[in-house]
Amino acid sequence: MTTLVLVSHPELADSSTQQFLKASLPKTDVVWEHIESQSTIDIEKEQHQLRAADRIILQFPLYWYTAPAGLKQWEDTVLTRNFVYGDRRYPLAGKELGLVVSTGMPATAFQRGGTEGFSLDALLTPFAALAQRARMVWLPTLAIPQFGYLEEPEKLRLVTDYQRYLTQTYPDSLANRQVWFAEQLAKQIAQLPADQRVTGRMLADQFDQRRTAISDLQGTLAMIKEQEDD
Amino acid sequence: MTEETKWLTEQLDRLAQQQPDFTNRAFWLALERVVAEQDRRTEQLGGEVDGRTWSPDRW
Repeated sequence: MTTLVLVSHPELADSSTQQFLKASLPKTDVVWEHIESQSTIDIEKEQHQLRAADRIILQFPLYWYTAPAGLKQWEDTVLTRNFVYGDRRYPLAGKELGLVVSTGMPATAFQRGGTEGFSLDALLTPFAALAQRARMVWLPTLAIPQFGYLEEPEKLRLVTDYQRYLTQTYPDSLANRQVWFAEQLAKQIAQLPADQRVTGRMLADQFDQRRTAISDLQGTLAMIKEQEDD
Repeated sequence: MTEETKWLTEQLDRLAQQQPDFTNRAFWLALERVVAEQDRRTEQLGGEVDGRTWSPDRW
């Protein structure tokens, strides 16, 4: 699976959130692009990248309840009517669209009765409408509230949450999580120094056995439920 | 938490602490959370299988 990450931020180098996310990017299967670094938007190249991706991520800080102007300009330039739906070919159909949104306010602010009064889902509706028009699959938004206040354990957690958001099969079920971790385990073990690799392999074996045990139990349960229906 | 999960958690913790790279450390700690989730799910599924097998309605 190829994931295209389009980052919109007027001053990327000054953003600790964006620098952190960049350092957390999965090593493979991801194309990363910063919209505002391009002096002109190459429509053909952008459309080609969109066609080639299976999952498209728009990543930005929330500015006045939406994306920075750079992303809107990119949308208006690249997502032409003909490209998205005009010729009835829908080249983006079936691809997944997700948002990674950082906010200066806490998560609890974005709800009815919260200090902002609206949920992020409500504020970001135009993106969901775009996904619907393009016949794309909408992913639940990954919100990163108040990155600056995160402590180390929370930052460590964000690394893998972000990586999984970019590359794990949707939806985020235990089954899909286990598949993702099993794949990553193999890559991680290969990187370990020899003395740690033995432990790594042992852990991977145990992990697989537990995964199989869960799947067996689910099978047994399904069989019991089927008999109950008879 | 089962003995096996406890052992796995300890191993994962140790491995995480041995990783100089932040993103690699993050991986082993995240795996620890999935292992804990496996533990819970196994227990819940086992409980449900037992519950349904021994349901008085089926006697």
